[in-house]
Amino acid sequence: MTTNVQKYSEEKRKSRRAEKSNINRLRQIAPFLTIVTILTAWQGVFALEIYPEFIIPGPFQVWDAFVESLMDGSLIRHSQVTLSEMLLGLAFGLTIGAFLGYAIAHIKVLEDILSPIIVAFQATPVVAYAPLLIIWFRDGITGKVITTAIIVFFPTLMNVVVGIRGVSKDLRDLMRVVKASPLQVFYKLELPAALPVLLTGLKTSVTLAVIGAVVGEFVNASEGLGYLVNIARSQYQTPLVFVAVFTMTALALGLYAFVSLLEWRLLKWQKYSR
Amino acid sequence: MKALKYFLMATVLSLLLLPSASFAQDELEEQTLLMTFIPNIQFSPIYTAMEAGYFADAGYDISLEYLDEPLVVDLVAAGENQFGIVSGEQVILAGSQGRPIVYIYEWFQQFPLGIVYPDTIEAESYADLADLRLGISGRFGASYIGLTSLLNSEGIAEADISLEEIGFSAPEVFCVGGVEASVVYVNNEPLQISNRAAQGDCGDVTGVNVLPIADIVDLVANGIITNQDMIDNNPEGVAAFVNAFNEGLSTTINNPARAYLLSAPYIEGLPLDMGFEEALITMADEQDEFLATAPTREEIALSREEQYAALAEQFDANTLLQYEILLASIDLWDADQLGYTDAESWVNMQDTLISLDQLAEATDLEVLYTNDFLPMGDE
Repeated sequence: MTTNVQKYSEEKRKSRRAEKSNINRLRQIAPFLTIVTILTAWQGVFALEIYPEFIIPGPFQVWDAFVESLMDGSLIRHSQVTLSEMLLGLAFGLTIGAFLGYAIAHIKVLEDILSPIIVAFQATPVVAYAPLLIIWFRDGITGKVITTAIIVFFPTLMNVVVGIRGVSKDLRDLMRVVKASPLQVFYKLELPAALPVLLTGLKTSVTLAVIGAVVGEFVNASEGLGYLVNIARSQYQTPLVFVAVFTMTALALGLYAFVSLLEWRLLKWQKYSR
Repeated sequence: MKALKYFLMATVLSLLLLPSASFAQDELEEQTLLMTFIPNIQFSPIYTAMEAGYFADAGYDISLEYLDEPLVVDLVAAGENQFGIVSGEQVILAGSQGRPIVYIYEWFQQFPLGIVYPDTIEAESYADLADLRLGISGRFGASYIGLTSLLNSEGIAEADISLEEIGFSAPEVFCVGGVEASVVYVNNEPLQISNRAAQGDCGDVTGVNVLPIADIVDLVANGIITNQDMIDNNPEGVAAFVNAFNEGLSTTINNPARAYLLSAPYIEGLPLDMGFEEALITMADEQDEFLATAPTREEIALSREEQYAALAEQFDANTLLQYEILLASIDLWDADQLGYTDAESWVNMQDTLISLDQLAEATDLEVLYTNDFLPMGDE
């Protein structure tokens, strides 16, 4: 009897392990299955001529355009320009957002003074004032960097404020008791405690940075992926439009993955669930 | 009892009206004409044709939609819409990429782009302006193609000039000194800049001159497109549409005051205070009487100038600016044979596109345009 119970329990454990292993395997291949499904559906739409090919080109046409633009160097050149604008805009937007957010987190009256301006800035669509930036900042890249910085500034600011204000009062009291300096409080308490929120904000910001750079390029540019979209559209090369759009997506995903890796590395000390 | 009586009356009236309403709708085919940019006095022939009933007479109930040129071309090519207004180079580029569109009426008989520069400089060709910092909306579209054609015709390379992309803000950038000259639509921005200069609102610039690209090279400009399917299956519909547009264009050219009045409902903010409106109504009626005497084209052109001079005595520059733009546009539209497109302008345009690497090789131009639907059908 005991042997049967043991056998039954062992079989149940084996079955659960196998099930878990299958689920893990499925989770690993799920993204690839999704991509294959989308590509198949896309090819199907193209093959059935549901839309003319100049409206929706087939995946192989897009691939050919991708290879051509890669080989002639244009895709890499335009991607580098957009990436530069994104990174510079991120650097400015994150820095200003972080400093201002830290100040607002500690000085409440500053929030009352600045919030109307900050909210107005955020509420105004970038496309509305992007042409003005062209007139004010004639230099080619400056307008795009500013557009990107403005777009990433607000989520950064809000996350810093929330993260710093979310630090436990008990821990602050502890730091006061041990007579920690303001720098020590920042470095040993506030930064580690706020890091999860900050990194979440950073993930949002890097995806928004693509939008900022490309919106600026749509309005006025001579290089960049937004410019490539304009050129491809003006020459009716729809596959090249797709290539540029997918490349923008890849840039955003790449930066997002980098921040996720950073998050995993920096928050190793903390247990959190995805 | 009274309520029942009224209900029955209302029902009977509705039944009497309904068949006539649906019959009227059945007579007119709904069509959305795709245009570019935004509602503007330069689209006056279309607004005139709509208000004067020319499209209705042709069997069309026209509505308007404003998009960018590639979208206009793709929607017409895909058969989602049947008629659009685009510039000529779009037809060549789209045709080379397999879009089945055909250019059926050349609206602008002169290429509308040129170089605006301060009137302190004397220039007979672009070579006289080559040292100036030149602004352009962007290195694409009719502006860039027109400039390239101009440079090619004078043997000047783009690398030899100082060219800056300034977006669609030429008057602002020009007046703050951001550039010293700019590629512009000759019937629009120069008038805006002159207006600002007259008010002392244009930095050191007190007046401007314009070098029209059309004076140096003949390029196909804005016109009406349709798709090959429409030409194959409904040529009468195409001819009717073209005829209606032609009527609207003729009315606008011959009686701009009337056209301005008919366009007002379509253009938000078009200057038209009561005094200006009354003056235009009087002028339009007088022009109708004048037109009844069958004047020549030159006499009609002279009458437009005289009318403008009379208006300038009564109204300020801001009030008259859009009317001035309309008159400047008419100068680009007017011709002995409205709508006619000639082969040379297409060849010149194609050569420019090839020189810009926007076109890999020459394409069969003759399938991209036709004069077959012009009223009278003359070539």
